[in-house]
Amino acid sequence: MASHAPHYGPRIFKHRLQAPRLPLGALIAPLVLLGAWQLACLTGLFPPQVLIPPSGVARALLDMAASGELQRHVGDSLHRLIIGFIIGALAGMAFGATMALSRLTEAALSPLFLTLWQVPVIAFVPVMVMFLGIDEPFKLAVVAIAAFFPMALATFDGIKGVPRNWFEVAKIYRLNVFQLIGRILLPATVPAVLTGLRVSLTRAWVVLIAAELLAADSGIGQMMEMGRQLFQIDVVLAGVVVIGLVGFMLDRGARWIEAHASRWRTA
Amino acid sequence: MNDWLSRFPARVAVGLVVPALLVLWWQSHSSPSLSTFAPPSSVGTALVDMLRSGDLARDTLATLQRAFTGLAIGTPLGVAVGIAMGIFKPLDRLLGPLLHALRQVPMIGWLPLMGLWFGVGEGTELIVISMSAFFPSMLNAHAGVAQVESRYLDVGGVLRFSTAQSIRYILLPAAMPLVLTGITQALAFAWISTIGTELLTGAGSGLGVSMAQAQMQQRLDVMLVVIGVTAALGFIINHLFRRVRKSALRWQPSVQ
Repeated sequence: MASHAPHYGPRIFKHRLQAPRLPLGALIAPLVLLGAWQLACLTGLFPPQVLIPPSGVARALLDMAASGELQRHVGDSLHRLIIGFIIGALAGMAFGATMALSRLTEAALSPLFLTLWQVPVIAFVPVMVMFLGIDEPFKLAVVAIAAFFPMALATFDGIKGVPRNWFEVAKIYRLNVFQLIGRILLPATVPAVLTGLRVSLTRAWVVLIAAELLAADSGIGQMMEMGRQLFQIDVVLAGVVVIGLVGFMLDRGARWIEAHASRWRTA
Repeated sequence: MNDWLSRFPARVAVGLVVPALLVLWWQSHSSPSLSTFAPPSSVGTALVDMLRSGDLARDTLATLQRAFTGLAIGTPLGVAVGIAMGIFKPLDRLLGPLLHALRQVPMIGWLPLMGLWFGVGEGTELIVISMSAFFPSMLNAHAGVAQVESRYLDVGGVLRFSTAQSIRYILLPAAMPLVLTGITQALAFAWISTIGTELLTGAGSGLGVSMAQAQMQQRLDVMLVVIGVTAALGFIINHLFRRVRKSALRWQPSVQ
């Protein structure tokens, strides 16, 4: 369509017609920014108590990695994330599937579900601290709840989205319940469930960081909170970098799985 | 089959069965002497108390004010930056990588850093809330401008529109649905991060602050009242804006 663009169009839209730029070009702007940041710190524009240069953040990361502190915090956070996520995701899938099973279960469960869905997960944190304390079960529960809701909704939508005539095909082939689940429901709901998986994984990560900021003895959030209390700007900045990187990789990983697991659809 | 379920009263009754069972279980396991697991009736008492003392009204107003101040800062900035980045490619190249890198960090994760820089208080809370409103507004506005169908721009070219005219009459109206989607998301994000920052910083008054205090005082009833109010307000804000969005886009036949 773009090839029909008349030549007297506004100049600023010409970029639409250009070939995609080199990936190398994408690196220039961030490198310039990093350089400006470094320079601003070295020239004393910001005192080191306020902002440390990127090299300082890198040094803090390397120091913490050398002492094993970084690996311990990241490991603890990821461990919580994975265990809590598995619990929450499985429960969410089971709940979503139950809700989608019949109109009766939908009518019985969806009002409660949709009401609770309105509550920001972070608002459950104080209640859970009260009942579970601030130890491991609390953090797992927070992650599980964050994962539960998007997973339940995605599973419900996925199953509801299966065309009615596929069930008729199943009836014609006289599939039993297990065959129906294994051959039709599971494959048909995989894309929706994987999208729910990605959404709930990133949400669970955010809520876990919040929970660790609030109350924890280890983990990346606690590392940052301790850094804040001790005025260690390098530790706090390193924490910001690490949670950003982990969040980014979780999202990318989930997207990769999403793209590859539904490849059969186009095949 | 199941036709009785499509009738309104029957559906409501079925929907109430599970919550009623939960409340029954709660009632049977709670005791009035225990504030950590107070009976359901005490939630009603707490609500009346909090309404009468004016605490609830004060906290709700403080939270709403904070959320909407953050929105008022973050959303226009986000929409403006997003549209500017969508129109001027060099700006996109300059700011895009930085903004996308910053976006990877969960908003709550900025709290310790902002706390160090600006102290734990109102300013820090507002910055984090504004940031959480900024990003969805920016991303959607950017996408809205960048995804304008090129044939619309071709029409502008045929009509010999100036750049300003193309922006005013083609780009902005075409980007409108996504801009409004961005604002819808910004509302939800700002609301959640308001509660979250209040809970974590505990500064001033607000629903999150009173939730944190109730946790320290082991008052389940107060907590549940606040959670209920939070959920209800979030729902109402979202619902109202959906109607605004719908009426703002009524000229677009394809938008529901």
